[in-house]
Amino acid sequence: MSHSQESGGRRLDRRRFLTTAAVGGATIVGASALGGLDAEAAFAEPMDSLDTAIPAAFAEGRVVAMNRNVLDVAGSHGERYLIQLTNATSIWKLRTTTAESIEVGDGLYARGAAMPDGTIAADAVWVNIVNVYVTIRGIAKDRLHLTHGNEELVGHIVPDTTTASYLGGALTADLSRTRIGQEAQVLGAWRPADGNIDIARVSLGH
Amino acid sequence: MACGSTSLWAGEATWFCCGNAWGSCGSAGTGACGTCQSSKHMAAWPNLSAACWDITRPDLCGENMPRRTCGAVMNVRHQCSGATVCVTLADCGPRTKSFCGEATCCNGACRTNRVIDLTPSAFTAIGSLSSGKLPVYIYE
Repeated sequence: MSHSQESGGRRLDRRRFLTTAAVGGATIVGASALGGLDAEAAFAEPMDSLDTAIPAAFAEGRVVAMNRNVLDVAGSHGERYLIQLTNATSIWKLRTTTAESIEVGDGLYARGAAMPDGTIAADAVWVNIVNVYVTIRGIAKDRLHLTHGNEELVGHIVPDTTTASYLGGALTADLSRTRIGQEAQVLGAWRPADGNIDIARVSLGH
Repeated sequence: MACGSTSLWAGEATWFCCGNAWGSCGSAGTGACGTCQSSKHMAAWPNLSAACWDITRPDLCGENMPRRTCGAVMNVRHQCSGATVCVTLADCGPRTKSFCGEATCCNGACRTNRVIDLTPSAFTAIGSLSSGKLPVYIYE
């Protein structure tokens, strides 16, 4: 996988672009602004682990404040992170989206570069993303009732977004083969307001 | 203990959360080893113990990986990008038997069956959380 993109006739390293944008106070534009780089590819592209000049960084927690292009995040183990969103930041919240969709109270995972001032210049941010192993307990037209461990959850089926994979098969919008008692992996977006999940993809097992 | 380069296994890597967390992960706990945190480069292995094996049963999918216990370290490398992360075992998983035959591919080459679960910190070092699965080689 390439770790750089062609831009303006010269190769532009993703991490260098990101950190330069952060230092320059780039405005929020959401998904990658690196020409020709599709959104999923941007999420999939971790920064070069051999680039020791700019150490990689990871953050996890909940958004407690937002100030222009900086997210103030409280980590689940007491850490505090300031996460800079730049022109090179890709953002996922149920689907590829823009920074305007991020709200105070959201949970997130962020990957990026550690900046000298202690902030993290993010190259990818996954907002409210969860990936849980569940058992299907009930099926309705617009939702699945699930158990995750001892916890009951509702997984909302989102039109034009939710897909299913049966026994490792291709993704389909057809959820009609879902059965009560099936074990499944649900990847989706947690809803802070009610604790339930909007389903991006449900992988049905045996 | 350092991560090595001796080939151990190959298959699908998935991700899970553990430790203090938000949302649906809030009830996850610190895993079978009591040390698991989403923000650390950690992993779950299907043969962490006999009790773990009884839950995951990778042998039902033809995967008879060796026992590796809490604290063991492994290098996990994305099959196509070559991106690699060194992880420490901290939990039991994934539930291989529930997804026998499932494959994840890149560049036309596929890896089959869930053989390792990575924390978000580890998974994002080699791929995207929104993909949910990655084809990987594992070394120790």
